[in-house]
Amino acid sequence: MGAVYALVAMGFSIVYRTMGLVNFAHADVVMIGAFLAATLFVTMHLPFAVAITAAVLLTAVIGLGIERILRPLESKDLNLMLIGTIGFGIMLQSVAILIWGSFGVAVPTPIPNVPIDVGGIIVTTYQLFVLAVSGVVMLLLYLFLDRTKLGTAMQAAAMDRSAATAMGVNVSTSNAIAFAIGSGIAAVAGALVGPLLYVNPALGVYVGIKGFAAAILGGFGSIPGAIVGGLIFGLIEAFSSGPLSAYSELLTFVVFAIAMMVRQTGIFGERTVDRA
Amino acid sequence: MIRIGFGKPVLVALLLLLPIILDSYTIHVAILIMLFAIVAVGLSLVMGFGGQVNLAQAAFFGTGAYVSALLTTTYSWNPWLAAPVAVLATCAIALAVAIPALRVQSHYLGIVSLGLAVAFSSLLSNSDLTGGASGISKIPPLSLPGLDLSGPRDYYYLVAIALILIVGFALFVANTTLGRRFKAMRDDMLAAAASGIEIRYYRLMAFLLAGLVGGVAGVLYVHNARYVSPDTFGLGVMFLLLAMVIIGGQDSIWGAVVGAVLLITARNLLTGIQTYQQLAYGGLIVATVVFAPRGLAGAASDLRRRFDLPWPSIPIPRTARAAPPPPKLKVAKPSRQGVALRVDSVSKRFRGLHALDGVSLEVGAGEIHGVIGPNGSGKTTLFNVISGIYRPNSGRVFVWGRDVTGQRSFRMSRLGVARTFQNLRLFRQLTVVENVMVALDRDPAQAHIGYLIAPWVVVRKERERRARALSLLRDFDLHDVANELAVNLSYGRQRRLEIARALAAEPTILLLDEPAAGLNAAEQEGLKATIRKIRDAGTTVVVIEHNMNLVMNVCERLTVFGHGKVIAAGTPREVAASPVVIEAYLGQATPEAEAAL
Repeated sequence: MGAVYALVAMGFSIVYRTMGLVNFAHADVVMIGAFLAATLFVTMHLPFAVAITAAVLLTAVIGLGIERILRPLESKDLNLMLIGTIGFGIMLQSVAILIWGSFGVAVPTPIPNVPIDVGGIIVTTYQLFVLAVSGVVMLLLYLFLDRTKLGTAMQAAAMDRSAATAMGVNVSTSNAIAFAIGSGIAAVAGALVGPLLYVNPALGVYVGIKGFAAAILGGFGSIPGAIVGGLIFGLIEAFSSGPLSAYSELLTFVVFAIAMMVRQTGIFGERTVDRA
Repeated sequence: MIRIGFGKPVLVALLLLLPIILDSYTIHVAILIMLFAIVAVGLSLVMGFGGQVNLAQAAFFGTGAYVSALLTTTYSWNPWLAAPVAVLATCAIALAVAIPALRVQSHYLGIVSLGLAVAFSSLLSNSDLTGGASGISKIPPLSLPGLDLSGPRDYYYLVAIALILIVGFALFVANTTLGRRFKAMRDDMLAAAASGIEIRYYRLMAFLLAGLVGGVAGVLYVHNARYVSPDTFGLGVMFLLLAMVIIGGQDSIWGAVVGAVLLITARNLLTGIQTYQQLAYGGLIVATVVFAPRGLAGAASDLRRRFDLPWPSIPIPRTARAAPPPPKLKVAKPSRQGVALRVDSVSKRFRGLHALDGVSLEVGAGEIHGVIGPNGSGKTTLFNVISGIYRPNSGRVFVWGRDVTGQRSFRMSRLGVARTFQNLRLFRQLTVVENVMVALDRDPAQAHIGYLIAPWVVVRKERERRARALSLLRDFDLHDVANELAVNLSYGRQRRLEIARALAAEPTILLLDEPAAGLNAAEQEGLKATIRKIRDAGTTVVVIEHNMNLVMNVCERLTVFGHGKVIAAGTPREVAASPVVIEAYLGQATPEAEAAL
């Protein structure tokens, strides 16, 4: 689960990093991604790889749409934009209910799921598969941001909008791409989490909020931070199951809130100073 | 002459007469509308006014309901005894949610509060104490002698009275000092702190009000429904509340009420198609933020402004108690002697960068002191240290001989240090006169207790403050735009307003950060005269400026910065002749450059 949270966290982070916006619809994009992949994989019997790719593309389009509609607010009021993304989240959730019903689907694992013993810890092959895929996606994202011209331009746009514009970076395009990539990663996370959990419209809330919290814990906008934060949340969850499971969410968020107050910028965050 | 609106009395009368014509089902819906209106008003106070994204409002509502339900069933308390306990419990929860708000910014807060809300509902559905998913039933009704509060009609009146009281109180708060401080904090935290507002306290306060109101609604809800279950307070309800406040208009109490009326009515008319409803809320929220960011209330006031339609009202000639005579604006303090401001080898580092490196300077009482130097040489950082925005890594700051090192911003304001910002930090969504009133308002936070024990004192002080603010605006030639939003002013006027706001705090030391930036020649002349006038009235002025004309003509002493250090100090003439300064500015000393200086 930690790897999935990390993926969700990365999706949040990339949008935050480029535009300083917290995308509250992200959690529900994860859910839509999960549904799309599940439908293609289970109902239409497509190979898992094809299902996941198609889901990624479709959600990327959704991401683009959200960004396009909220674009007028970009330079005006990020708080309003944030509320706008909450609005989109609500819409996506009800669309999911309309299309897939509120009960959800169980998704079989795409590879044979057998428990194996890794150094005394029992893990299943599917969990390892999730880890591997997440790792690849993270690596690709890192390479994209750090090694390509477009990635660099996007980082520039994030740091200083007007300076980047002056250097010929189209900030709107950069934001749109960030949204598309963020949503695409969300779909990967959703598709991967499908076989681990039961895919239902409320999935986004549960996976998404923890992913979000992971992003913040790791240091918002920081990719390594997102990974570490995700893993921490996965661990907290693993250890708080059992007798405490009813209170696991409460516990998670109390721990989280305390952590936030101790170190506001998260583990890898940069201390940003509000310039007077 | 004051005007009394027809609107409110008519509304109240309508509200009280409605049950006569409604059947009992409709009354039931009306009760629900009123309850949600109360909760939404709470959300509007914390989010619209306080600027604190709070996604736990439904949980506040739920806490009030559940605590009351538990106490009256499991512990068989009398409902009237349980009610205040439930409200207090809700306030406590609200304060607990607000603790993260002390440290984290809006979007972090959004997720923390959303997380707590999710945790709250999962707790409700998993805990045995709260009856799990099936909830608590057989909750006793409230009882009053002579009334049948288990029936809808009498209960309607109870809720209606609560609604009137809460909306009235919320409007009172919104339009007076507390609401203004909330809005100032929302619009610009740094400037609010620099105007003497203790941000942490007001954040707690905003949550406390939201919790109080939510708790009252929760209690009223539970003794009417007589049954609670977790999904009454789940995320769906939170989104509904959010939609009410956003669609109605975030910073409008009436907006929240209207939003509640519209959405609950819609919800009850369209019960069959719940999913589509949710789709519609989401869509409406998106449409509102994109097309009408201030919601219906904002749209209504824009329309009113455009067509100049006042609310229907009757004029009442004001008799006896006239407004107090505008007090003679005394910027002047009995001018003190000695050293106004002393900075003693202050250093400030950001990571490896030495923004300030052992800086010392002294400003005498009644002096106009200029701080100049190339961009990035540490001038604004110095101001931020003096005004309490940054804490220096080493060194000390003294104001009138008193060690004030590391005091927080609002304390510095109260100690008589006011400032302006180089990149204009006005309270954008406040009117011009309100901007000044924020700074004029020197009452400590404890004075807000007046809202509960002596509201008339709050009103009287407001009136005095407005009169003083207007007279100050007249001095700055801004009185004709007193009721415009600050954001709509021209740039030059915004600059002037910022100085007026700083002066309103009656500082003994005024820090001006590049006041001439972006002003045209005529405006610069005005600025020079203003600065001299401020000093003549007894305030010591420290000014950061790049405009050499202004610096050379107005300042009596200068301190020159270069790379975080003081490289020269003295009278303008001395400084202009200093080779170090010329080199810092022009790279190399040439006769022409010297002449230009």
